[in-house]
Amino acid sequence: MTAVPSRGRRYVMLLLLLCGFSIILFRLVTLQVLQAAELTAKADRQHQKTVSFEGARGMVSDRHGKVLAMNVEVPSVFGVPTLLESPSTVARHLSQVLHIRSGELERKLRQDKSFVWLARKVEPEQGRRLEQLSLDGIGVVMEGRRFYPKGPLLAHVLGFSGMDGQGLEGLERRYDSHLHGEKRVTVLQRDALGSTVFPKGLAEQVPTPGHALTLTVDEVIQYIAEKELDEAVTHTHAKSGTIIVMEPQSGAILAMAVSPRFDPNVVAALTPDRWRNRALTDTYEPGSTMKVVVAAAALEEKVMTPGSMIFGENGRMVVANTTIHDHDKLGWMTFSEVIQKSSNIGAAKTGMALGEQRLYRYLQAFGFGQRTEIDLPGEVSGLLKDPKDWGGRSLASISMGQEVGVTPLQMVSAVATLANGGVMMKPYVVSEVRDQKGRLLKEVLPQVKRRVVSPDTARTMMTVLEGVVTRGTGAKAAIPGFRVAGKTGTAQKIDSRTGAYSSTQFVGSFVGYVPAESPRLAMIVVLDEPQGEAWGGAVAAPVFGRVGEQVLNYLGVSREDTVKVALAMKDY
Amino acid sequence: MKALTIVAGVLLVFVFVWERVDVVRVGYQIERLKVQKVLLERERDQLQVKFSALTAPERIAKVATEKLGLVPPQQGQVLMVHQQGEAPSLSLPPVEQIRLARHVSTGRGNE
Repeated sequence: MTAVPSRGRRYVMLLLLLCGFSIILFRLVTLQVLQAAELTAKADRQHQKTVSFEGARGMVSDRHGKVLAMNVEVPSVFGVPTLLESPSTVARHLSQVLHIRSGELERKLRQDKSFVWLARKVEPEQGRRLEQLSLDGIGVVMEGRRFYPKGPLLAHVLGFSGMDGQGLEGLERRYDSHLHGEKRVTVLQRDALGSTVFPKGLAEQVPTPGHALTLTVDEVIQYIAEKELDEAVTHTHAKSGTIIVMEPQSGAILAMAVSPRFDPNVVAALTPDRWRNRALTDTYEPGSTMKVVVAAAALEEKVMTPGSMIFGENGRMVVANTTIHDHDKLGWMTFSEVIQKSSNIGAAKTGMALGEQRLYRYLQAFGFGQRTEIDLPGEVSGLLKDPKDWGGRSLASISMGQEVGVTPLQMVSAVATLANGGVMMKPYVVSEVRDQKGRLLKEVLPQVKRRVVSPDTARTMMTVLEGVVTRGTGAKAAIPGFRVAGKTGTAQKIDSRTGAYSSTQFVGSFVGYVPAESPRLAMIVVLDEPQGEAWGGAVAAPVFGRVGEQVLNYLGVSREDTVKVALAMKDY
Repeated sequence: MKALTIVAGVLLVFVFVWERVDVVRVGYQIERLKVQKVLLERERDQLQVKFSALTAPERIAKVATEKLGLVPPQQGQVLMVHQQGEAPSLSLPPVEQIRLARHVSTGRGNE
């Protein structure tokens, strides 16, 4: 027989059980209801990891598909300080591979953090060596790194992107919305050991890469321009230089060179002064190259004809109590000779014949005082005062390229307008945008801005500007076998100390187009503060000639003497 | 008949199990190939960067002048020659235009 517990004992047992269950119930309610939100979040933090993936940045290539910028996945090294037993030993090992000071690495590894970057976007070989070392608490992940395989080539136009793949300068910045890859945030689960459990189908969720850009620039023409510009800057000891080569019929930029150059792969130690695209961010007083615009306006308005006679005042003329000088004591000359000899007095008289309003209207029509709207960041509009703010000498000064600030891009656009029969085109550098599968998303077609002068005026200007090279100040721009039209410019800079025109600091330039009768190239060469002989005709015109000849040869443009050569070949 | 049904049933079970095992096997294979694809794409990109760097005009010019001793043609030295109807008896390439370096000097004569 089993003994039946007494009633008292049963009550005690029941009470104990009840107490026990009450405690469990209370704890359950506390955990599941009262602290539910806080504990869930804590668990999520332990078991889940939020990671962001970004598609590769789009490629940039020249007009023939030559790669100028692209992304490659390279290793980045991180550490988990909480997992390290001996940070100093690990730092020593890492230092040998990463070539970073051991002390610096140790400082990072001693931080009270669960994740620190040790070195980002290192060389693939360094990543491989670290993987072989398999140090506890040190990991390697792959990240996209931007490479500019041609080094400094076209750097001022391409710009560069930052460590996190954002466009910072140049095309990288202007087209960042196209170039950057899709960003995707994914929550990954971690197991009890902290290892990541990749959700099924993650591989299929790879973010879409950015769009690819095709430029109007030709890397060979760009190379020719950069090489000749660098040589000219070195030879003349100029502070800087710019060359722009443009296709007059379309406005497509074939080359845009700025010296000194920089390598967009290594920009950390550089200042903005080095990577600024001076072709469109810097203004200068153009000097005599502005006479091209004044002459075209005078011909269009029939104020002058190529044969109109103008007296050169023997090299001195007083305007508004100031004296305008010419480089020679010039007497009577034709309008064409005014341009060919680059007479300041002749240009001033032409401007006066036009009058303030008409000159201002043509300056605006040729694009001065406003942005060209090229698809590059940082463009400035230059300086063109309203006629109501002009002084007594302004009309004469502006006619010879003073009191007005232009960018090299504005000036070459204006001359390209004449090369294009009087029609101004909008300059552009990106011709196509394609997605990662090569499908065309955007095609940029040449865009007409406006007609500025008639075809007749443009034709007459061609003859006048050809005379500058055959008989005038631009003789050194001549290219054997081609007819060159252009204009030299030598502008005094304003001395920042005195506020007056400097007698030692100049900007020498040459702007023109070739072949004159059927232009393939419009080009400007600007040298800032060349030393010694600073005349545009002496420093910039030869560069125009050298670049022009090489580019025309490269493009296979026929020379005037092609037929003669073909006949001569028979004698071999 | 009953034995046949049992054999068929056992076979079906085997087929089912084999199929499940094969799905897993192919799944692993797919994963391996995906990893391989990523690695190959990475290698392709690295090679493309290398190719682009090696074919940069600046590098080619450097190799041509410093290693091979070539010099750029000077002003007026490159002539475009049209191959006309009565072609010269030289074996010229079948293109409309060719480039001909008529004379090459070693100095920059025009400077």
